[in-house]
Amino acid sequence: MGRAIVITSGKGGVGKTTTTANLGTALAQLGHSVVLVDADIGLRNLDVVMGLENRIVFHSVDVIRGKCTLQKALIKDRRLDNLWMLPASQTDDKDSMTPDDMRKLVTELKNTHDYVLIDCPAGIEQGFKNAIAGADEAIVVATPEVSSIRDADRVVGLLAQADVSARLIVNRISPQLVKKGDMLSQADVIEILALEMLGAVPLDDQIIATTNKGIPAVLEPGKSLAAKELLRIAKLIAGHEVEDRQPVGFFARIGRALGLSATAA
Amino acid sequence: MWQNIKTLFSGKPSREVAKGRLHLVLAHDRTGLDGGRLQEMRKEIAAVIARYVEIDAEAVDIQIETRNRETQLTVSSAIQARSTT
Repeated sequence: MGRAIVITSGKGGVGKTTTTANLGTALAQLGHSVVLVDADIGLRNLDVVMGLENRIVFHSVDVIRGKCTLQKALIKDRRLDNLWMLPASQTDDKDSMTPDDMRKLVTELKNTHDYVLIDCPAGIEQGFKNAIAGADEAIVVATPEVSSIRDADRVVGLLAQADVSARLIVNRISPQLVKKGDMLSQADVIEILALEMLGAVPLDDQIIATTNKGIPAVLEPGKSLAAKELLRIAKLIAGHEVEDRQPVGFFARIGRALGLSATAA
Repeated sequence: MWQNIKTLFSGKPSREVAKGRLHLVLAHDRTGLDGGRLQEMRKEIAAVIARYVEIDAEAVDIQIETRNRETQLTVSSAIQARSTT
């Protein structure tokens, strides 16, 4: 029996879809079988972020309406052996699915896959309710900004009401801005939201470039900083061993090599 | 050093301002109390306090703040004198 994890945020544009695509791809790279579910009916985007937009024939609403089987709607990612995607319908709206429909789909997918990652739409209405219906746990993505954290807090409250445990990813953090005192640090965000933290993904130009190409950043050779952190988070989710230290700067590394452990935790 | 000089001229770093604003906004969001309701409550509490001691009802301060998902309500008021009644 697999685990169903919903990736949610409340606010739009904070990187839910990119996070879903990369965590799913990374989990597949680690040898798990993964299916990514786009729960954003009417505004699907997981397909383009994954670069699978030209291969969609059926989608989740077709499955619910009995137009095809669930297996037939799944798209196999050709880059990895054990990665699949269930696309959303782009022409229907959020009401074309109920939380019960979603629960049924996710339960069936959990029988055949280790991980079911659900990309939640922005907002807290029907689409959100559907997306969290089948989830065993949640990952809340927030950027270190007042509006994003406020919305994340609202979502954390709703998840608690639905009895779904949540962990946090702080996305697009800029260590330089934090140092200058112009950005909330990951510690600040944890303190405010009081959530267990999975990781902090740095702001990284390469994510934009890989998204343009429809390639999840974790698949690119010579991994970017963001990709490395996403891979670390995927390992954490799957219970693999991870180095517990955040990426350390050049001088700190030299210092440590010289035995000057000024950075000791 | 530069940070200190900057702070000296521009007040708090924006990171601290953001933190303070969030603590306040989330307290209101979590309790579902907006500014109007809070002021209503402030007036009622001030009236109750005024029955026992002499205070400046306008100077009664009410605040909600959250730390670690716990929300705290604080009412503070300076007592001017023992109540005459």
